[in-house]
Amino acid sequence: MTGPAGEPTNQPVPPAEEAEAVEAADGARAASALRRAWALVVVPLGAVILAMLVGSIVILASQVFIGVEIDPTLPLVAYWAMISGGLGSFNGIVETMVQATPLVLAGLAVGVGFKAGLFNIGAQGQFLMGALAAAYVGGQLRDQPALVAVSLAVAAGAFGGLVYGFIPGALKALTGAHEVVTTIMLNFVAISISSYFVSGPLRAPRSPFAQTLDVGNAELIVLFGRNGHVGIFFALLAVPIIWWLLWRAKLGFEIRTVGANPDAARFAGMRPRRLIALTMALCGMLAGLAGSGEILGRVGHLTAPYATNVGFDAITVALLGRANPVGILFSALLLGMMKAGAGQMQIQAGIPVEIVDVIQGLILLFLAAEIIVRRLFRIREARVGLEELATVTRSYGERSA
Amino acid sequence: MRTRSIGLSLFATAAIVVAACTGGGTPAPATPAPVTPAPVTPAPATPEPKVWKIGVVTDVGTLDDKNFNQFSWEGAQKGAAAIGGEATAIVTVASADYDKNVQSFVDQKFDIIVTIGFALADATAKAAKLNPTVQFIGVDQAPCLTGAGDPDPTFTDCSGDMATLLPNFQGLVFAEQEPGYLAGIAAASITTKKVIGAIGGAAFIPPVVRYIKGYINGAHSVDPTIQVKVAYVSDDLGKAFNDPAGGKAFATQFIQQNGVDVLFQVAGKTGNGVLAAACDANIYGVGVDVDQHESTPETAKCTVTSAEKKLSIAVEQAIMRVGDGSAKGGIIGNDAKNDGIGLSKYYEFESMFSSDAQAKIQAAFDGFKAGTTDPCAPANCTDPFE
Amino acid sequence: MTGSEHVAAPALEMRGITKRYPGVLANDRIDLDVRPGEIHGLLGENGAGKSTLMNILYGLAVPDEGAVLLDGQEVQIDSPADAIRRGISMVHQHFMLVPVLSVADNILLGEETMANAIFLDRTEAHRRIDELAQRFGFEIDPEAPVGSLSVGSQQRVEILKALYREARILVLDEPTAVLTPQETKEIFAVLRRLAQEGHSIVFISHKLYEVLEIADRITVIRRGRVVGTTTPAETDEEQLAEMMVGREVQLTVDRGESSPGEAVLKVDNLVVRNERGRETVHRVSFEVRAGEILGVAGVAGNGQDELVGAITGLRRVASGTVTLGGSDVTGHSPRAMHEAGLAHVPGDRHRFGMVMSFPLTDNLVLTDYYRAPFARGPVRDEAAVAEAAIGLIERFDVRTPSPFAAGSTLSGGNQQKLVVAREFSGDVRLLVLDQPTRGLDVGSIEFIHRQALAKRDGGTAILLVSAELDEVLELSDRIAVMYRGEIVAVVDGRTAVKEDIGLLMATGGRDRDGSPATGPGPASTTGSVA
Repeated sequence: MTGPAGEPTNQPVPPAEEAEAVEAADGARAASALRRAWALVVVPLGAVILAMLVGSIVILASQVFIGVEIDPTLPLVAYWAMISGGLGSFNGIVETMVQATPLVLAGLAVGVGFKAGLFNIGAQGQFLMGALAAAYVGGQLRDQPALVAVSLAVAAGAFGGLVYGFIPGALKALTGAHEVVTTIMLNFVAISISSYFVSGPLRAPRSPFAQTLDVGNAELIVLFGRNGHVGIFFALLAVPIIWWLLWRAKLGFEIRTVGANPDAARFAGMRPRRLIALTMALCGMLAGLAGSGEILGRVGHLTAPYATNVGFDAITVALLGRANPVGILFSALLLGMMKAGAGQMQIQAGIPVEIVDVIQGLILLFLAAEIIVRRLFRIREARVGLEELATVTRSYGERSA
Repeated sequence: MRTRSIGLSLFATAAIVVAACTGGGTPAPATPAPVTPAPVTPAPATPEPKVWKIGVVTDVGTLDDKNFNQFSWEGAQKGAAAIGGEATAIVTVASADYDKNVQSFVDQKFDIIVTIGFALADATAKAAKLNPTVQFIGVDQAPCLTGAGDPDPTFTDCSGDMATLLPNFQGLVFAEQEPGYLAGIAAASITTKKVIGAIGGAAFIPPVVRYIKGYINGAHSVDPTIQVKVAYVSDDLGKAFNDPAGGKAFATQFIQQNGVDVLFQVAGKTGNGVLAAACDANIYGVGVDVDQHESTPETAKCTVTSAEKKLSIAVEQAIMRVGDGSAKGGIIGNDAKNDGIGLSKYYEFESMFSSDAQAKIQAAFDGFKAGTTDPCAPANCTDPFE
Repeated sequence: MTGSEHVAAPALEMRGITKRYPGVLANDRIDLDVRPGEIHGLLGENGAGKSTLMNILYGLAVPDEGAVLLDGQEVQIDSPADAIRRGISMVHQHFMLVPVLSVADNILLGEETMANAIFLDRTEAHRRIDELAQRFGFEIDPEAPVGSLSVGSQQRVEILKALYREARILVLDEPTAVLTPQETKEIFAVLRRLAQEGHSIVFISHKLYEVLEIADRITVIRRGRVVGTTTPAETDEEQLAEMMVGREVQLTVDRGESSPGEAVLKVDNLVVRNERGRETVHRVSFEVRAGEILGVAGVAGNGQDELVGAITGLRRVASGTVTLGGSDVTGHSPRAMHEAGLAHVPGDRHRFGMVMSFPLTDNLVLTDYYRAPFARGPVRDEAAVAEAAIGLIERFDVRTPSPFAAGSTLSGGNQQKLVVAREFSGDVRLLVLDQPTRGLDVGSIEFIHRQALAKRDGGTAILLVSAELDEVLELSDRIAVMYRGEIVAVVDGRTAVKEDIGLLMATGGRDRDGSPATGPGPASTTGSVA
């Protein structure tokens, strides 16, 4: 209940925030920071727990439909299998990290967009274009020295995504076309483009199937475990870099200002249009990096059709992570763990893999319906909303900045 | 307040479940829960107590796709029943996850791992090399192996002999020309205009060509004067095999231009559109790979039969070979000799096929078995545009 | 007024209300009683604890100590819905109305009069609305969409909504902040009528003369405590202001003599269009000299926003020129303007002036974040930002618990001080003040006025745009009157007569019979201008 008293003009001082600030003044800044962090985390945490609980009801209900005898412990069996599959062994942990890698990068691609008040639904397309560019360049340089091949292929992937992110950004800046609409449409275009190139011009000559040349030396080296490729570190590195960019660099300040209040950004002498185009390009680059990591680190070539859901999972990751780079890292690890453990869950509990999607969907649902989470868990912490989400929704159909 | 009370009750439920989660100690069901979607009863008369653990990794899609995944899965379940074991499936959701999913079964110490679809060939070959004690069965897979036994994704060095390098990997392939030939006989038997057609997805995919060339030869074995019109949808694989709407448009034009009255589809999901166009044009359609009268009920009303790969039988037999210790690695051809192919049932169209026609089909099938009928003659089975 | 000799049990009594937030004592043993048929003024600076008290009354907060009594009965109010059930209604400064719905639908919203389980009984609802409107002298078409109504009428819809819910105790939070003087008079008439009918009204404001005019009794709160309760007859503005602020307040600052230098801003034949492409500023020319304040008076919506936008670079100039310090800056970007020495206190501080979610530190460098010392190359220097911010916070007396608190945690007055601190600091050649004191309490107004005069005396050229005629009269060396996109007169600020300016604002001086008499008539509504 935001309640009528929430009107921000005259005496807005929401008590909790006021209190929080006072404490800081008293020198208890650490406690305040901790409390702020808790306020940030508590709702996503609640959403995950609720999603798992409702998910367990779905698991139980599914038994009824299959017609087997109902085993009330099945949800526990399933979740335990999932968790132990993702975290129970060294290889499981590595797999979790491998699964999380593209989610971190693509999650950042969506999260940085949020910071600028942009809802980048196009991470999927940007991912594919990055994958396509990396697969092409990697395939061409397959016999070059690894260092050359890898760096150029990764750069190509980043560039591919960048260009593909820049397009909706420029469209918004120049024409006001809303990025939600353009990025959704460009996702379909990306599927067609990659499918055309993979089964046409870029098709591996002797392959009976539609796939690009193997990337050969452009493959990302495996550093640990079965498949712990070096891309994991790129993703881990991207988190502090993006954090630094957002919170320490001028550009990040501009991005956040545009996201929080485009009018104030203009007032402050920033150029919202240029920043929007630039931010979308940056988002595209991150998603493109995710795509190149998948191709160079895991698959070795691009196929048509290429089945992936990274770009959409990234939206869950970004929302669950509150568009905060560190939050995105942890959300990506959570989803990565779910994906890594999904196999074991299917093996041990015989639960269809779709339950992972169900839980993911429920997480989104509970994040959106924050009030339910707050009520159920009696959360009293102040709303630490994504201010920028207001810009995202407000900008829908309104004049562009 | 209503919301509050709902909240309370939900919260109470949540609390109970949480309590159940935490209070019950460490939930460690290390024993594999026997709750597979379709429980398999181990054969009681098996002399040895070994219970085979059989894992199935599907291609991207669902387990009940009425196509490759489903029929292979059924075969795995039957095979499991036959040798005394349990079959479990992992459904793949992303192209990048093939290795991971195969590995999941390896990690869980499964005895037999079945992978479905050519896209998993490399992942399966890699796992087979790394885990010589595990038996692998790849449906529709003939990987290109280097001399060292590694899959070569570029298909440049395919010198490796699978049978010797990966003795634990049975790559199941199918003699598509044989069911194609049977479908050709069937089409020739019911055409009144003496003009029949076939639409393939892409001309550079060898199995597609084999189906179609067999179809031509089969039709001509009935009546050499029959015209067989052939067209390929696209070189773009998306359009070729994954575009029902495009397939329907393509086929509609094809039917108008060529005036065929029986149409054989060899184009995957694009082909489903081809069958739909056939139904709309009031001509007969012939399905492919699986019994499409059953798998695509929306076009059952004009699907007289289908040229079938008996996936279920092939997988079941491969598992049984493992069970009795006779399994040898390598490319395992499935054809008439092991009932690995065939023509689907005719259902309501049974009466259209004269006993003479049915006899011809049976004769051809027997001829394949005996090696007396060559489905690749007179037209060869390799050149799509001969 | 309805007299003050009621002795019956108070309609509302709040007894010893104490509310603590960690580190803050928001309400400290506050006593408040409101009698039936009384209009009770509640005065206090921003942040004094009025809102906390009203939140408690409205069920949005639970007091730590103390009791709320209705008609002598102690009650516990759990939620706004509960408060409404008990006959307490609140009319907020920002209306809680759905613009696209009709007046009647807005009134029905949340209190639907049902014909049966599914359908509304509109006929009955309309009958009741009409009856209420007539009884209290509202002229309102129940079918009109609320978005099409004037602000004053919207406020009446809010009150009507409260009456429809059979409110006995009405809380009005700054009801006049957005109203014209004429609308204020009309709403006062309505409030008096309501009081006569026995409704109790809590009237929150910081416009002293209004409270003096309308209230039967006045309670003043400062820093969470009741300073005193008095009646208009026993007090005056000066005394109330002192009670509120805790020190003597000069309600009018002495502007002193000015010594204008050469022209800093020259506007020549400026034409500006609004968002819809309509020309709203027609060939306006004027200049502002160094060391003078040029006040622009005018009824809101006569092209002032567009004029300010064009001068500050936020809006496109259709034609004409803007010259700043001798160089043509027409159509330059806000940043170019800023670098040429322009500072701007925007009229809508929430939209332009600050980023609510950002900490004070970032807000204080919003226009200078990109250059030394706040950034080196692409990197921000947080330490330099914090240092500068802490200095400004102190210098401009921005009351905040921490320089790192979010802008939204500040009270309105302190938010404006924040903007002023940023814009007034540094080397400013031209200062554009757009509604610099809108919605602020007396203490803040005094402070900002003093700062503006100090800036003027330092040689800055100041363009002051304000809808508060009193403010323009008080500060300006010269006054330009804007009417329908034109400057219809420029007069000397020291000799200007309020009534004359008011007439110019209303009619443009074209001898048309402007209907709302601008001359406010009774001297009681003024108070600042001698």
